[in-house]
Amino acid sequence: MSAFHFDGLVWHWPIAIYLFLAGLSAGAVFFAIMLKHFKLAERAYLSPFVQAAALIAPIAVCAGLGILVIDLTKPLAFWKILVFYNTSSVMSMGVLVLLVYQLVLFAWIGSVFSLPVNKWLDGRFYLLTKCLTLLARHEDIITGVLVILSLSLGAYTGFLLSALIGFPLLNNPVLPLLFLISGLSSGAAATLLGGVLMRGNPNGIEVKFIHRIEIPMILVEIMLLFTFFAGLILSGGQSQVAALNAIGEGFWGWIFWGGVVGVGLTLPLAFNLWMKVSSDRKFTYVAVTASFSLLGVLLLRNFILYTGQMTGV
Amino acid sequence: MDTSKRRFLKGCGGAIAGVSVYSMTRQPLARDAAEESEVKYAMLHDENLCIGCNACEDACREVNQVPIGVSRVDIVRTGPFGEYPEQSYRFSRHSCQHCEAAPCVKVCPTGAAYIDKETGIVAVNEDRCVGCQYCIAACPYQIRFINPVTKVADKCDFCQQSQLTRGLQPACVLACPTEALVFGNLKDPNSALVKTLKSKPTYRQKVDLGTRPKLFHVRTVDGEIVL
Ligand code: SF4
Ligand code: SF4
Ligand code: SF4
Repeated sequence: MSAFHFDGLVWHWPIAIYLFLAGLSAGAVFFAIMLKHFKLAERAYLSPFVQAAALIAPIAVCAGLGILVIDLTKPLAFWKILVFYNTSSVMSMGVLVLLVYQLVLFAWIGSVFSLPVNKWLDGRFYLLTKCLTLLARHEDIITGVLVILSLSLGAYTGFLLSALIGFPLLNNPVLPLLFLISGLSSGAAATLLGGVLMRGNPNGIEVKFIHRIEIPMILVEIMLLFTFFAGLILSGGQSQVAALNAIGEGFWGWIFWGGVVGVGLTLPLAFNLWMKVSSDRKFTYVAVTASFSLLGVLLLRNFILYTGQMTGV
Repeated sequence: MDTSKRRFLKGCGGAIAGVSVYSMTRQPLARDAAEESEVKYAMLHDENLCIGCNACEDACREVNQVPIGVSRVDIVRTGPFGEYPEQSYRFSRHSCQHCEAAPCVKVCPTGAAYIDKETGIVAVNEDRCVGCQYCIAACPYQIRFINPVTKVADKCDFCQQSQLTRGLQPACVLACPTEALVFGNLKDPNSALVKTLKSKPTYRQKVDLGTRPKLFHVRTVDGEIVL
Protein backbone atom coordinates (compact mmCIF):
# COMPACT_ATOMS: atom_id res chain seq x y z
CA MET A 1 0.00 0.00 0.00
CA SER A 2 1.57 3.28 -1.02
CA ALA A 3 1.10 6.40 1.03
CA PHE A 4 -0.74 8.43 -1.61
CA HIS A 5 -2.57 5.76 -3.59
CA PHE A 6 -4.64 3.04 -2.01
CA ASP A 7 -8.03 1.38 -2.26
CA GLY A 8 -10.85 3.45 -0.88
CA LEU A 9 -9.02 6.75 -1.26
CA VAL A 10 -11.58 9.30 -2.45
CA TRP A 11 -10.36 12.69 -1.33
CA HIS A 12 -6.83 13.71 -2.23
CA TRP A 13 -4.49 16.48 -1.09
CA PRO A 14 -6.45 19.37 -2.69
CA ILE A 15 -9.10 18.79 -0.05
CA ALA A 16 -6.43 18.91 2.66
CA ILE A 17 -5.20 22.25 1.28
CA TYR A 18 -8.74 23.54 1.15
CA LEU A 19 -9.29 22.59 4.79
CA PHE A 20 -5.95 24.15 5.68
CA LEU A 21 -6.70 27.45 3.95
CA ALA A 22 -10.23 27.73 5.36
CA GLY A 23 -8.94 27.14 8.89
CA LEU A 24 -6.05 29.53 8.34
CA SER A 25 -8.36 32.28 7.15
CA ALA A 26 -10.65 31.83 10.14
CA GLY A 27 -7.68 31.85 12.50
CA ALA A 28 -6.10 34.98 11.00
CA VAL A 29 -9.36 36.89 11.31
CA PHE A 30 -9.87 35.66 14.84
CA PHE A 31 -6.46 36.91 15.94
CA ALA A 32 -6.78 40.20 14.11
CA ILE A 33 -10.03 40.81 15.97
CA MET A 34 -8.45 39.86 19.29
CA LEU A 35 -5.50 42.16 18.58
CA LYS A 36 -7.76 45.04 17.81
CA HIS A 37 -10.08 44.43 20.72
CA PHE A 38 -7.55 43.83 23.47
CA LYS A 39 -4.46 45.74 22.40
CA LEU A 40 -4.69 48.14 19.52
CA ALA A 41 -8.22 49.60 19.53
CA GLU A 42 -8.53 52.55 17.13
CA ARG A 43 -4.94 52.28 15.96
CA ALA A 44 -5.44 48.75 14.66
CA TYR A 45 -5.28 49.75 11.00
CA LEU A 46 -1.73 51.02 11.53
CA SER A 47 -0.45 47.63 12.67
CA PRO A 48 1.32 45.58 9.98
CA PHE A 49 0.00 42.47 11.72
CA VAL A 50 -3.63 43.47 11.39
CA GLN A 51 -2.91 44.55 7.83
CA ALA A 52 -1.35 41.17 7.11
CA ALA A 53 -4.33 39.34 8.56
CA ALA A 54 -6.70 41.51 6.53
CA LEU A 55 -4.80 40.46 3.41
CA ILE A 56 -4.27 36.81 4.27
CA ALA A 57 -7.80 35.99 5.42
CA PRO A 58 -9.67 36.84 2.21
CA ILE A 59 -6.92 35.51 -0.06
CA ALA A 60 -6.75 32.21 1.81
CA VAL A 61 -10.48 31.63 1.88
CA CYS A 62 -10.92 32.51 -1.80
CA ALA A 63 -7.99 30.32 -2.81
CA GLY A 64 -9.41 27.48 -0.74
CA LEU A 65 -12.79 27.80 -2.35
CA GLY A 66 -11.11 27.93 -5.75
CA ILE A 67 -9.30 24.68 -5.05
CA LEU A 68 -12.55 23.08 -3.92
CA VAL A 69 -14.26 24.11 -7.15
CA ILE A 70 -11.43 22.91 -9.40
CA ASP A 71 -11.45 19.59 -7.58
CA LEU A 72 -15.10 18.89 -8.49
CA THR A 73 -15.61 16.52 -11.39
CA LYS A 74 -17.95 19.14 -12.84
CA PRO A 75 -16.39 22.49 -11.86
CA LEU A 76 -18.73 24.43 -14.11
CA ALA A 77 -21.71 23.10 -12.18
CA PHE A 78 -20.42 24.68 -8.99
CA TRP A 79 -23.28 27.15 -8.87
CA LYS A 80 -25.61 24.27 -8.10
CA ILE A 81 -24.10 23.97 -4.63
CA LEU A 82 -25.12 27.59 -4.08
CA VAL A 83 -28.63 27.12 -5.42
CA PHE A 84 -29.62 23.75 -3.97
CA TYR A 85 -29.27 23.31 -0.26
CA ASN A 86 -29.44 20.20 1.87
CA THR A 87 -29.74 21.04 5.55
CA SER A 88 -28.43 17.64 6.64
CA SER A 89 -25.23 18.02 4.60
CA VAL A 90 -22.20 19.44 6.40
CA MET A 91 -20.76 20.52 3.08
CA SER A 92 -23.88 22.40 2.08
CA MET A 93 -24.08 24.19 5.41
CA GLY A 94 -20.34 24.81 5.30
CA VAL A 95 -20.58 26.50 1.93
CA LEU A 96 -23.33 28.68 3.34
CA VAL A 97 -21.15 29.63 6.31
CA LEU A 98 -18.25 30.23 3.93
CA LEU A 99 -20.25 32.64 1.79
CA VAL A 100 -21.64 34.63 4.69
CA TYR A 101 -18.20 34.59 6.27
CA GLN A 102 -16.65 36.12 3.17
CA LEU A 103 -19.27 38.81 3.04
CA VAL A 104 -18.91 39.75 6.70
CA LEU A 105 -15.15 39.49 6.38
CA PHE A 106 -15.09 42.16 3.68
CA ALA A 107 -17.48 44.28 5.71
CA TRP A 108 -15.18 44.00 8.69
CA ILE A 109 -12.09 44.91 6.69
CA GLY A 110 -14.00 47.87 5.31
CA SER A 111 -14.97 49.03 8.77
CA VAL A 112 -11.50 48.64 10.27
CA PHE A 113 -9.78 50.45 7.45
CA SER A 114 -12.52 53.01 6.84
CA LEU A 115 -10.51 55.83 8.40
CA PRO A 116 -7.36 55.61 6.27
CA VAL A 117 -9.28 54.72 3.12
CA ASN A 118 -11.70 57.61 3.50
CA LYS A 119 -8.81 59.95 4.13
CA TRP A 120 -7.11 58.69 1.00
CA LEU A 121 -10.31 58.96 -1.05
CA ASP A 122 -10.57 62.53 0.16
CA GLY A 123 -14.12 63.17 -0.90
CA ARG A 124 -13.94 61.25 -4.18
CA PHE A 125 -16.37 58.33 -4.66
CA TYR A 126 -18.95 59.75 -2.32
CA LEU A 127 -20.95 56.51 -2.22
CA LEU A 128 -17.97 54.37 -1.20
CA THR A 129 -17.06 56.80 1.54
CA LYS A 130 -20.60 56.71 2.82
CA CYS A 131 -20.63 52.92 2.74
CA LEU A 132 -17.41 52.68 4.71
CA THR A 133 -18.64 55.17 7.28
CA LEU A 134 -21.79 53.13 7.67
CA LEU A 135 -19.77 49.95 8.13
CA ALA A 136 -17.54 51.66 10.67
CA ARG A 137 -20.56 52.76 12.66
CA HIS A 138 -21.72 49.14 12.94
CA GLU A 139 -18.29 47.71 13.53
CA ASP A 140 -19.18 46.08 16.85
CA ILE A 141 -22.04 44.06 15.37
CA ILE A 142 -19.95 43.06 12.36
CA THR A 143 -17.11 42.02 14.65
CA GLY A 144 -19.40 39.92 16.85
CA VAL A 145 -20.91 38.11 13.89
CA LEU A 146 -17.49 37.59 12.33
CA VAL A 147 -16.11 35.98 15.51
CA ILE A 148 -18.98 33.48 15.48
CA LEU A 149 -18.58 32.84 11.76
CA SER A 150 -14.83 32.36 11.95
CA LEU A 151 -15.18 29.85 14.79
CA SER A 152 -17.90 28.02 12.84
CA LEU A 153 -15.71 27.96 9.76
CA GLY A 154 -12.79 26.58 11.75
CA ALA A 155 -14.93 23.83 13.26
CA TYR A 156 -16.63 23.10 9.93
CA THR A 157 -13.36 21.95 8.42
CA GLY A 158 -13.40 19.16 11.01
CA PHE A 159 -17.11 18.38 10.83
CA LEU A 160 -16.78 17.90 7.08
CA LEU A 161 -14.57 14.88 7.70
CA SER A 162 -16.20 13.64 10.89
CA ALA A 163 -19.48 13.09 8.99
CA LEU A 164 -17.84 10.21 7.11
CA ILE A 165 -19.19 7.38 9.25
CA GLY A 166 -17.32 4.65 7.40
CA PHE A 167 -13.92 5.70 8.74
CA PRO A 168 -13.31 5.47 12.50
CA LEU A 169 -10.39 7.89 12.41
CA LEU A 170 -12.50 10.58 10.78
CA ASN A 171 -15.87 9.85 12.37
CA ASN A 172 -14.58 11.14 15.65
CA PRO A 173 -16.01 13.80 17.96
CA VAL A 174 -12.59 15.23 18.82
CA LEU A 175 -11.74 15.97 15.18
CA PRO A 176 -13.73 19.23 14.78
CA LEU A 177 -12.20 20.58 17.96
CA LEU A 178 -8.72 19.54 16.89
CA PHE A 179 -9.16 21.19 13.50
CA LEU A 180 -10.60 24.33 15.07
CA ILE A 181 -7.68 24.78 17.46
CA SER A 182 -5.03 23.92 14.88
CA GLY A 183 -6.77 26.20 12.38
CA LEU A 184 -6.63 29.04 14.87
CA SER A 185 -2.95 28.45 15.53
CA SER A 186 -2.20 28.37 11.79
CA GLY A 187 -4.03 31.70 11.52
CA ALA A 188 -1.92 33.11 14.33
CA ALA A 189 1.23 31.89 12.64
CA ALA A 190 0.20 33.34 9.28
CA THR A 191 -0.57 36.67 10.92
CA LEU A 192 2.82 36.75 12.62
CA LEU A 193 4.71 35.70 9.51
CA GLY A 194 2.84 38.18 7.30
CA GLY A 195 3.26 40.90 9.91
CA VAL A 196 7.01 40.64 10.24
CA LEU A 197 7.37 40.31 6.47
CA MET A 198 5.47 43.58 6.18
CA ARG A 199 8.06 45.15 8.46
CA GLY A 200 6.12 44.74 11.65
CA ASN A 201 8.18 45.00 14.82
CA PRO A 202 9.09 41.41 15.80
CA ASN A 203 9.28 42.59 19.39
CA GLY A 204 6.02 44.55 19.31
CA ILE A 205 2.97 44.17 21.51
CA GLU A 206 1.18 42.22 18.77
CA VAL A 207 3.80 39.49 18.72
CA LYS A 208 3.91 39.33 22.50
CA PHE A 209 0.13 39.11 22.69
CA ILE A 210 -0.16 36.34 20.11
CA HIS A 211 2.71 34.37 21.55
CA ARG A 212 1.12 34.50 24.98
CA ILE A 213 -2.00 32.86 23.56
CA GLU A 214 0.00 30.44 21.44
CA ILE A 215 1.65 28.58 24.30
CA PRO A 216 -1.60 27.40 25.94
CA MET A 217 -3.02 26.76 22.49
CA ILE A 218 -0.19 24.40 21.57
CA LEU A 219 -0.66 22.61 24.89
CA VAL A 220 -4.38 22.21 24.19
CA GLU A 221 -3.55 20.92 20.73
CA ILE A 222 -1.18 18.31 22.14
CA MET A 223 -3.85 17.29 24.63
CA LEU A 224 -6.46 17.00 21.89
CA LEU A 225 -4.14 14.90 19.71
CA PHE A 226 -3.51 12.64 22.69
CA THR A 227 -7.24 12.32 23.45
CA PHE A 228 -7.90 11.68 19.78
CA PHE A 229 -5.57 8.72 19.50
CA ALA A 230 -5.97 7.41 23.04
CA GLY A 231 -9.73 7.37 22.49
CA LEU A 232 -9.37 5.46 19.23
CA ILE A 233 -6.95 2.93 20.67
CA LEU A 234 -9.09 2.33 23.76
CA SER A 235 -12.20 1.81 21.59
CA GLY A 236 -10.54 -1.28 20.16
CA GLY A 237 -11.70 -2.96 16.96
CA GLN A 238 -11.23 -1.08 13.70
CA SER A 239 -10.73 2.20 15.57
CA GLN A 240 -7.63 0.78 17.17
CA VAL A 241 -6.42 -0.66 13.87
CA ALA A 242 -6.94 2.71 12.20
CA ALA A 243 -5.07 4.60 14.91
CA LEU A 244 -2.12 2.23 14.97
CA ASN A 245 -1.98 2.19 11.16
CA ALA A 246 -1.76 5.97 11.20
CA ILE A 247 0.81 6.65 13.88
CA GLY A 248 2.75 3.41 13.63
CA GLU A 249 5.64 2.70 11.30
CA GLY A 250 5.51 3.84 7.70
CA PHE A 251 5.41 7.08 5.75
CA TRP A 252 2.49 8.67 7.62
CA GLY A 253 3.89 7.62 10.98
CA TRP A 254 7.01 9.62 10.13
CA ILE A 255 4.94 12.58 9.03
CA PHE A 256 3.00 12.45 12.27
CA TRP A 257 5.87 12.12 14.73
CA GLY A 258 8.43 14.16 12.82
CA GLY A 259 6.22 16.70 11.08
CA VAL A 260 3.10 17.22 13.14
CA VAL A 261 4.41 16.56 16.64
CA GLY A 262 8.06 17.52 16.13
CA VAL A 263 8.18 20.47 13.74
CA GLY A 264 4.58 21.60 14.20
CA LEU A 265 4.14 21.47 17.95
CA THR A 266 7.29 20.74 19.95
CA LEU A 267 9.68 23.15 18.25
CA PRO A 268 7.26 26.12 18.24
CA LEU A 269 6.48 25.40 21.89
CA ALA A 270 10.15 25.32 22.76
CA PHE A 271 10.84 28.51 20.79
CA ASN A 272 7.90 30.27 22.40
CA LEU A 273 8.95 29.32 25.90
CA TRP A 274 12.47 30.45 25.13
CA MET A 275 11.30 33.72 23.64
CA LYS A 276 9.24 34.30 26.74
CA VAL A 277 12.31 34.32 28.96
CA SER A 278 14.65 36.08 26.58
CA SER A 279 13.08 39.49 26.32
CA ASP A 280 14.26 40.28 22.83
CA ARG A 281 12.51 38.78 19.78
CA LYS A 282 14.21 38.92 16.41
CA PHE A 283 12.73 38.69 12.94
CA THR A 284 14.18 35.21 12.33
CA TYR A 285 12.75 33.81 15.55
CA VAL A 286 9.26 34.95 14.78
CA ALA A 287 9.40 33.96 11.13
CA VAL A 288 10.87 30.52 11.73
CA THR A 289 8.48 29.64 14.56
CA ALA A 290 5.51 30.76 12.51
CA SER A 291 6.67 28.78 9.47
CA PHE A 292 7.09 25.68 11.60
CA SER A 293 3.57 25.88 12.98
CA LEU A 294 2.16 26.52 9.51
CA LEU A 295 3.97 23.50 8.13
CA GLY A 296 2.81 21.41 11.06
CA VAL A 297 -0.85 22.27 10.53
CA LEU A 298 -0.62 21.65 6.79
CA LEU A 299 0.93 18.24 7.48
CA LEU A 300 -1.72 17.49 10.08
CA ARG A 301 -4.49 18.11 7.55
CA ASN A 302 -2.88 15.80 5.00
CA PHE A 303 -2.06 13.20 7.63
CA ILE A 304 -5.64 13.04 8.92
CA LEU A 305 -7.16 13.06 5.43
CA TYR A 306 -5.00 10.25 4.06
CA THR A 307 -4.67 7.98 7.08
CA GLY A 308 -8.34 8.56 7.83
CA GLN A 309 -9.34 7.03 4.52
CA MET A 310 -6.87 4.19 4.86
CA THR A 311 -8.90 2.14 7.36
CA GLY A 312 -12.62 1.64 7.00
CA VAL A 313 -14.97 -0.07 9.40
CA MET B 1 -21.87 50.27 22.02
CA ASP B 2 -24.49 48.99 24.44
CA THR B 3 -27.49 49.45 22.20
CA SER B 4 -25.76 47.79 19.29
CA LYS B 5 -24.76 44.89 21.50
CA ARG B 6 -28.36 44.50 22.56
CA ARG B 7 -29.48 44.65 18.97
CA PHE B 8 -26.96 41.98 18.07
CA LEU B 9 -28.16 39.70 20.86
CA LYS B 10 -31.76 40.26 19.85
CA GLY B 11 -30.91 39.32 16.30
CA CYS B 12 -29.23 36.13 17.47
CA GLY B 13 -32.23 35.26 19.64
CA GLY B 14 -34.57 35.84 16.74
CA ALA B 15 -32.49 33.67 14.44
CA ILE B 16 -32.42 30.83 16.96
CA ALA B 17 -36.17 31.03 17.52
CA GLY B 18 -36.76 31.05 13.77
CA VAL B 19 -34.56 28.03 13.19
CA SER B 20 -36.21 26.01 15.95
CA VAL B 21 -39.74 26.81 14.77
CA TYR B 22 -38.70 25.95 11.22
CA SER B 23 -37.27 22.59 12.18
CA MET B 24 -40.33 21.76 14.31
CA THR B 25 -42.69 22.41 11.46
CA ARG B 26 -40.59 20.63 8.91
CA GLN B 27 -39.88 17.24 10.37
CA PRO B 28 -43.33 15.66 10.94
CA LEU B 29 -44.26 16.43 7.35
CA ALA B 30 -41.21 14.68 6.02
CA ARG B 31 -42.02 11.61 8.09
CA ASP B 32 -45.61 11.45 6.83
CA ALA B 33 -44.56 11.46 3.21
CA ALA B 34 -42.15 8.59 3.79
CA GLU B 35 -44.83 6.50 5.44
CA GLU B 36 -47.44 6.94 2.75
CA SER B 37 -45.89 4.96 -0.08
CA GLU B 38 -47.00 1.36 -0.62
CA VAL B 39 -43.78 0.34 -2.29
CA LYS B 40 -40.39 -0.27 -0.79
CA TYR B 41 -38.01 -2.15 -3.03
CA ALA B 42 -35.30 -4.42 -1.73
CA MET B 43 -33.07 -7.19 -3.04
CA LEU B 44 -31.75 -10.48 -1.82
CA HIS B 45 -28.66 -12.33 -2.98
CA ASP B 46 -28.52 -16.03 -2.16
CA GLU B 47 -24.85 -16.93 -1.92
CA ASN B 48 -25.71 -20.63 -1.98
CA LEU B 49 -27.34 -20.35 -5.40
CA CYS B 50 -24.76 -17.96 -6.86
CA ILE B 51 -22.23 -19.70 -9.10
CA GLY B 52 -20.10 -16.62 -9.80
CA CYS B 53 -20.87 -16.53 -13.52
CA ASN B 54 -20.89 -12.69 -13.60
CA ALA B 55 -23.97 -12.61 -15.84
CA CYS B 56 -25.40 -9.94 -13.53
CA GLU B 57 -22.37 -7.70 -14.00
CA ASP B 58 -22.53 -7.98 -17.77
CA ALA B 59 -26.30 -7.44 -17.97
CA CYS B 60 -26.07 -4.37 -15.74
CA ARG B 61 -23.26 -2.91 -17.81
CA GLU B 62 -25.24 -3.31 -21.00
CA VAL B 63 -28.64 -2.14 -19.80
CA ASN B 64 -27.41 0.81 -17.77
CA GLN B 65 -24.54 1.80 -20.07
CA VAL B 66 -21.90 1.43 -17.40
CA PRO B 67 -18.48 2.18 -18.94
CA ILE B 68 -15.61 -0.28 -18.75
CA GLY B 69 -13.42 0.24 -15.71
CA VAL B 70 -16.26 0.94 -13.29
CA SER B 71 -19.23 -1.17 -12.26
CA ARG B 72 -22.47 -0.94 -10.33
CA VAL B 73 -22.28 -4.51 -9.11
CA ASP B 74 -19.34 -6.80 -8.37
CA ILE B 75 -19.43 -10.44 -7.40
CA VAL B 76 -16.50 -10.83 -5.06
CA ARG B 77 -14.99 -14.29 -5.00
CA THR B 78 -13.18 -15.65 -1.95
CA GLY B 79 -11.58 -19.01 -1.59
CA PRO B 80 -10.94 -21.73 -2.52
CA PHE B 81 -11.97 -23.43 0.67
CA GLY B 82 -11.45 -27.10 1.51
CA GLU B 83 -9.15 -29.76 0.05
CA TYR B 84 -9.01 -30.80 -3.59
CA PRO B 85 -11.29 -32.17 -5.10
CA GLU B 86 -13.87 -30.92 -2.60
CA GLN B 87 -13.04 -27.26 -3.16
CA SER B 88 -15.54 -24.45 -3.15
CA TYR B 89 -15.69 -20.67 -3.40
CA ARG B 90 -17.77 -18.02 -1.76
CA PHE B 91 -19.43 -15.36 -3.88
CA SER B 92 -20.75 -12.19 -2.32
CA ARG B 93 -22.53 -9.33 -3.99
CA HIS B 94 -20.99 -5.90 -3.72
CA SER B 95 -23.39 -3.14 -4.74
CA CYS B 96 -25.51 -0.34 -3.34
CA GLN B 97 -27.42 -1.45 -0.24
CA HIS B 98 -30.19 1.14 -0.68
CA CYS B 99 -29.87 2.21 2.92
CA GLU B 100 -33.00 3.47 4.64
CA ALA B 101 -30.83 5.95 6.52
CA ALA B 102 -28.43 6.56 3.66
CA PRO B 103 -25.20 8.37 4.59
CA CYS B 104 -24.69 9.34 0.94
CA VAL B 105 -28.04 11.15 0.88
CA LYS B 106 -27.33 12.85 4.16
CA VAL B 107 -24.04 14.38 3.05
CA CYS B 108 -24.86 15.33 -0.56
CA PRO B 109 -24.79 19.15 -0.65
CA THR B 110 -27.16 19.53 -3.58
CA GLY B 111 -29.66 16.75 -2.95
CA ALA B 112 -28.41 14.94 -6.05
CA ALA B 113 -28.20 11.77 -3.99
CA TYR B 114 -31.77 11.26 -2.84
CA ILE B 115 -34.24 8.66 -1.65
CA ASP B 116 -37.17 8.22 -3.98
CA LYS B 117 -40.18 8.57 -1.67
CA GLU B 118 -42.35 6.33 -3.85
CA THR B 119 -40.08 3.32 -3.99
CA GLY B 120 -37.45 3.74 -1.29
CA ILE B 121 -34.77 3.53 -3.97
CA VAL B 122 -31.62 5.53 -3.28
CA ALA B 123 -31.10 7.28 -6.59
CA VAL B 124 -28.93 9.94 -8.22
CA ASN B 125 -30.24 13.06 -9.90
CA GLU B 126 -27.60 13.49 -12.60
CA ASP B 127 -28.46 17.12 -13.27
CA ARG B 128 -27.89 18.20 -9.73
CA CYS B 129 -24.66 16.33 -9.07
CA VAL B 130 -21.59 18.55 -9.05
CA GLY B 131 -19.10 15.74 -8.49
CA CYS B 132 -17.86 16.74 -5.05
CA GLN B 133 -17.47 13.04 -4.23
CA TYR B 134 -18.67 13.60 -0.68
CA CYS B 135 -21.17 10.75 -1.12
CA ILE B 136 -18.43 8.41 -2.33
CA ALA B 137 -16.40 9.09 0.79
CA ALA B 138 -19.48 8.82 3.02
CA CYS B 139 -20.77 5.47 1.74
CA PRO B 140 -19.51 2.88 4.23
CA TYR B 141 -19.92 0.15 1.61
CA GLN B 142 -17.63 1.97 -0.83
CA ILE B 143 -19.72 1.19 -3.87
CA ARG B 144 -20.22 4.65 -5.37
CA PHE B 145 -17.99 5.85 -8.18
CA ILE B 146 -17.66 8.71 -10.62
CA ASN B 147 -18.92 7.68 -14.03
CA PRO B 148 -16.01 8.56 -16.35
CA VAL B 149 -18.39 9.51 -19.16
CA THR B 150 -21.00 11.60 -17.37
CA LYS B 151 -18.70 12.78 -14.53
CA VAL B 152 -21.58 12.11 -12.17
CA ALA B 153 -21.62 9.99 -9.01
CA ASP B 154 -23.03 6.65 -10.15
CA LYS B 155 -24.18 3.42 -8.54
CA CYS B 156 -26.84 0.71 -8.67
CA ASP B 157 -30.27 2.30 -8.65
CA PHE B 158 -32.24 -0.95 -8.88
CA CYS B 159 -32.55 -0.09 -12.57
CA GLN B 160 -34.87 2.80 -11.68
CA GLN B 161 -34.02 4.64 -14.90
CA SER B 162 -33.92 1.62 -17.20
CA GLN B 163 -35.85 -1.56 -16.44
CA LEU B 164 -38.34 -0.34 -13.82
CA THR B 165 -39.69 2.41 -16.07
CA ARG B 166 -40.63 -0.35 -18.51
CA GLY B 167 -42.23 -2.48 -15.82
CA LEU B 168 -39.42 -5.02 -15.90
CA GLN B 169 -37.37 -6.56 -13.13
CA PRO B 170 -33.78 -5.28 -12.78
CA ALA B 171 -31.38 -6.49 -15.44
CA CYS B 172 -29.15 -8.43 -13.07
CA VAL B 173 -32.13 -10.30 -11.61
CA LEU B 174 -33.36 -11.31 -15.07
CA ALA B 175 -29.89 -12.34 -16.19
CA CYS B 176 -29.13 -14.61 -13.25
CA PRO B 177 -29.27 -18.27 -14.48
CA THR B 178 -29.70 -19.73 -10.99
CA GLU B 179 -32.22 -17.21 -9.64
CA ALA B 180 -29.85 -16.26 -6.89
CA LEU B 181 -31.21 -12.70 -6.98
CA VAL B 182 -34.69 -11.87 -5.73
CA PHE B 183 -36.05 -8.36 -6.15
CA GLY B 184 -39.38 -7.12 -4.86
CA ASN B 185 -41.57 -5.00 -2.65
CA LEU B 186 -40.91 -5.33 1.07
CA LYS B 187 -44.40 -4.07 1.85
CA ASP B 188 -46.12 -6.80 -0.14
CA PRO B 189 -46.38 -9.91 2.07
CA ASN B 190 -47.09 -12.11 -0.96
CA SER B 191 -44.00 -11.07 -2.91
CA ALA B 192 -41.33 -13.64 -3.62
CA LEU B 193 -38.91 -11.38 -1.79
CA VAL B 194 -40.81 -11.31 1.50
CA LYS B 195 -41.47 -15.04 1.29
CA THR B 196 -37.78 -15.77 0.78
CA LEU B 197 -36.81 -13.39 3.57
CA LYS B 198 -39.15 -15.22 5.92
CA SER B 199 -37.99 -18.70 4.95
CA LYS B 200 -34.21 -18.26 4.85
CA PRO B 201 -31.89 -16.72 7.41
CA THR B 202 -30.29 -13.61 5.97
CA TYR B 203 -27.70 -11.07 6.97
CA ARG B 204 -27.00 -7.47 6.01
CA GLN B 205 -23.65 -5.75 6.05
CA LYS B 206 -22.47 -3.25 8.65
CA VAL B 207 -25.88 -2.88 10.31
CA ASP B 208 -24.16 -1.51 13.40
CA LEU B 209 -23.60 1.75 11.53
CA GLY B 210 -27.32 2.40 11.59
CA THR B 211 -27.66 2.59 7.81
CA ARG B 212 -30.51 0.02 7.68
CA PRO B 213 -29.52 -1.49 4.32
CA LYS B 214 -32.09 -3.10 2.00
CA LEU B 215 -29.72 -5.55 0.35
CA PHE B 216 -30.09 -8.91 2.05
CA HIS B 217 -27.69 -11.84 1.75
CA VAL B 218 -28.17 -15.53 2.40
CA ARG B 219 -24.91 -16.77 3.83
CA THR B 220 -23.17 -19.48 1.92
CA VAL B 221 -22.48 -22.87 3.46
CA ASP B 222 -19.02 -22.63 1.88
CA GLY B 223 -16.18 -20.63 3.25
CA GLU B 224 -14.69 -20.35 6.65
CA ILE B 225 -15.81 -18.92 9.93
CA VAL B 226 -14.03 -15.66 10.56
CA LEU B 227 -13.89 -14.33 14.09
S1 SF4 C 1 -24.87 1.57 0.10
FE1 SF4 C 1 -23.77 3.49 -0.07
S2 SF4 C 1 -24.54 4.41 -1.92
FE2 SF4 C 1 -25.99 2.82 -1.38
S3 SF4 C 1 -27.55 3.88 -0.15
FE3 SF4 C 1 -26.06 3.05 1.29
S4 SF4 C 1 -24.61 4.75 1.59
FE4 SF4 C 1 -25.76 5.22 -0.25
S1 SF4 D 1 -20.78 13.72 -5.96
FE1 SF4 D 1 -22.81 14.34 -6.66
S2 SF4 D 1 -24.24 12.93 -5.68
FE2 SF4 D 1 -22.28 12.76 -4.61
S3 SF4 D 1 -22.44 14.17 -2.88
FE3 SF4 D 1 -21.46 15.31 -4.54
S4 SF4 D 1 -23.16 16.28 -5.59
FE4 SF4 D 1 -24.07 14.69 -4.32
S1 SF4 E 1 -30.38 -3.63 -10.02
FE1 SF4 E 1 -29.93 -2.76 -12.03
S2 SF4 E 1 -28.41 -1.18 -11.57
FE2 SF4 E 1 -28.47 -2.50 -9.78
S3 SF4 E 1 -26.87 -4.00 -10.15
FE3 SF4 E 1 -28.77 -4.89 -10.91
S4 SF4 E 1 -28.76 -4.34 -13.07
FE4 SF4 E 1 -27.27 -3.01 -12.08
